[in-house]
Amino acid sequence: MTEVLSEQMGRGSHGGALLEVDNLHVEFRTRAGVAKAVNGVTYSVDAGETLAVLGESGSGKSVTAQTIMGILDMPPGKITGGEIRFRGVDLLKLPDDQRRKIRGEGISMVFQDALSALNPVFPVGWQIAEMFRMHRGTSRADAKKMAVELMDRVRIPAAKERVNDFPHQFSGGMRQRIMIAMAIALDPEILIADEPTTALDVTVQAQIMGLLAELQRDSNMGLILITHDLGVVADVADKIAVMYGGRIVENAPVHDLYRDPAHPYSKGLLESIPRVDQKGQELYAIKGLPPNLLEMPTGCAFHPRCPYRRDNCVTDVPPLYTISGTRGSACHYWREVIDEGER
Amino acid sequence: MGRYAIRRLLQLVPVVLGTTFIINYMVWQLPGDPFAGRCGQRPCPDSYITAMREQFGLDQPILVQYWNFLKNLLTGNFGTDFNGVSVATQLGDAWPITIRLALMAVAFEAIIGIGAGVLSGLKRGGFVDNVVTVSTLVLLSLPIFVTGYLLQWILGVQLHIIEPTVSDAATVPELIVPALVLASLNMAFTARLTRTSIVENLRADYVRTAVAKGLSNRRVVAIHLLRNSLIPVLTFLGTEVGSLMSGAIITEGIFNIHGIGGLLWRAINGQDYTIVVPVATLLVLVYLVSNLLVDLLYGVLDPRIRYE
Ligand SMILES: Nc1ncnc2c1ncn2[C@@H]1O[C@H](COP(=O)(O)OP(=O)(O)OP(=O)(O)O)[C@@H](O)[C@H]1O
Ligand code: SF4
Ligand SMILES: [Mg+2]
Repeated sequence: MTEVLSEQMGRGSHGGALLEVDNLHVEFRTRAGVAKAVNGVTYSVDAGETLAVLGESGSGKSVTAQTIMGILDMPPGKITGGEIRFRGVDLLKLPDDQRRKIRGEGISMVFQDALSALNPVFPVGWQIAEMFRMHRGTSRADAKKMAVELMDRVRIPAAKERVNDFPHQFSGGMRQRIMIAMAIALDPEILIADEPTTALDVTVQAQIMGLLAELQRDSNMGLILITHDLGVVADVADKIAVMYGGRIVENAPVHDLYRDPAHPYSKGLLESIPRVDQKGQELYAIKGLPPNLLEMPTGCAFHPRCPYRRDNCVTDVPPLYTISGTRGSACHYWREVIDEGER
Repeated sequence: MGRYAIRRLLQLVPVVLGTTFIINYMVWQLPGDPFAGRCGQRPCPDSYITAMREQFGLDQPILVQYWNFLKNLLTGNFGTDFNGVSVATQLGDAWPITIRLALMAVAFEAIIGIGAGVLSGLKRGGFVDNVVTVSTLVLLSLPIFVTGYLLQWILGVQLHIIEPTVSDAATVPELIVPALVLASLNMAFTARLTRTSIVENLRADYVRTAVAKGLSNRRVVAIHLLRNSLIPVLTFLGTEVGSLMSGAIITEGIFNIHGIGGLLWRAINGQDYTIVVPVATLLVLVYLVSNLLVDLLYGVLDPRIRYE
C-alpha cells in the first residue's frame, strides 16, 4: 500500500472492520434471463480474523469474492447495489488505477485450481517475482531471490533449484503453495482463499489449511476462507457466514453456530457432516434443489426446502435478524430453530 | 530437445530421397517428348532428338539418372538447360526475388493478421471486430489469382497507383501489392485464428489471476494473454510457409515477377525439365525444413510439450 493511499484511506480511523461487504447485489444478464447471483450479502473481516464462507454450489460465494477483488466478468456480471469498504473506503467507487494498486498489495486471492490459475508458459519463480517487479519496481535479480525466499516460506522443497520450473512440473499441493506464495508476496492485509483445497488429496488438504492458518497468524492478515467443508472450518475459522441463494442466511462465531445453529439451512448443513459417532447411519441430506437464480422463490428463498416453513415464509422476505451482537439469522423462526436444538 | 532435432533431421533423409526420386521419375515420364517440339513447325529430326537425349543422360536407366542427379545436387552442379544457359545462374537470379516476396508476405501475415485478430478479439462485437470479420470472409472466399488480377486491374490499370507488372529488379516497394496478394488468404486465416485464440484465452483462469495480481491491463494483455494466444498462430504461420511457395508461383505469374515461380512457370510450359526438377526439389526442401522448424518452435513456445 502506498503511503498516499493509506493516508487517504484513513488507516484504522473509520471505526468499521478492515473489510466490510455491505448489502452487495450482483446479477448476471444472460440470454436465459437475469440471474441474481448475489442478493444483499453483508459480511466483514478484521485483521487477524478468519471468516469462513459456507454454502452449497451456486450460492454466490465466488461471485462475492470476485466482486471484492474486482475481477468479476462484466458483462455479463453487473453490480447493482451495495458497498465494499476496505479501510472505510468504498472500493466500488475507486477509479481503476487505485483499485488495481489494492489488488495484491491490500487484498489478495488464492484460487481453487492452481493448475489453470497459474500461467502455463512462465516459470513459477518468474510469476511470483512479477509481483515485486510490477508493484515495487524491484530488479529482476532481486525479485527472483525474493521469490525463492517465498517458495521456501511456503515450504517448497529445493526452492532454489525449482524456481525456473513450470507449473505443470509440480504436484497439485505444490502448485497451490506457489499460488499462496504469489498471493502473500506483498503482505496483503486481506487474503481470500476460494476453496483452496477442493482439488487436492485429503492429506494435502490438511497441509495447505495448516499453511494458510500459520501464514495468517504470522502476518495478522484477515482471511476469508470459502469452502464446502464444514469439518475444516471448525479448526481454523473464527466466524462463519452461511450463504443461500446469494444471501447470508446466518452469521455467527464458529462455536455458536456449531453448538446451536439459528437457521434451518445451517442446521441442515451441520447434520449432513459425517460423524464418527454416527457410523453406519444414513447421512442426512437437505432435501430439494438449490434455488433457480433466474426465478427466485418468493418470501424466504429457502421455503421450498424448509421443514420449519409457515405460511408467511412464502410471502415475507426475512431480514437478517440480530440474535446477539455477533450473531444474525435470516429466518422468521430462528428462536424455534435454536430452542429445538438437535433434531 | 537436441536429440529430438537430430532424429527429426535423420528422418528427413528418406523423405528427401523419396520425393526427389518421384519428381525425377514423373517429370521424364510425362507424355510428349521435350525435344520433339523444339524445331519450329516441323517435327525435329530423330538424329537431333537422340543427340539431345544423350546429352542430358536420358538414354541411361532411371536409377543411374537419379544417381547423377543426387551427385549434382550435392556438388551444386545443375548443368545447363536445353538452351545451354546455366541452371545455377538462373536459380541464383530468381531465388532472392522469391525469398524477398515470401518474407514480405510472412511479415504482412504476422503483423496485419495478428494485429487485426488481437484488436477484434479484445473487443468482440465492436466496430473493428465487425470490419475484420467481414473483410476476412471476403479474402477467404477469393482464390488468390482472383485477388491478384483484381488488385492489378484496379490499382494498376484503372487508378495507376502501381505499375501493373514488376520490373526485373523487383524492389521492395514494387513487391508490396504482390506480397499482400500472396499473403491474403493466410493473413485472413491468421486474423481469425488469433481472434479465436484471444477470445478463448481471455476467459482463462490465468488471465483472471494476472488481473488479481494487480497488473496493468496492458501487461495482462501484452504479456500473459498474448504469449499464450500466439502459440497456435505462430505454429500456423510456420506450417504455411510451404503453401506460401505454391502461392508465390501464381502471384509471380500474375505480376510477371522473375522469381522461382516465373522460372518454373516458363520451364513447365517449355517442358524444360532441367529447371523443373531442381526448382521442385528446392520447394520440397523449403517445405520440409520449415515444418521441422515449426515443430521445434512449438516446444520453445509451449513448455508443456515434451519431446520423446
Ligand atoms: N461469468 C458468469 N456468467 C454467468 N453466470 C455466472 C457467472 N459466474 C457465476 N455465475 C452464476 O452465479 C451463481 C453463483 O455462482 P458462484 O460461483 O458464486 O457460486 P459458488 O457459491 O462459488 O459455488 P461453488 O461452490 O460451486 O463454487 C451461479 O449460479 C453461477 O451460475
Ligand atoms: S423463514 Fe421460514 S422458510 Fe425461511 S428458513 Fe425460516 S422457517 Fe424456513
Ligand atoms: Mg465458487
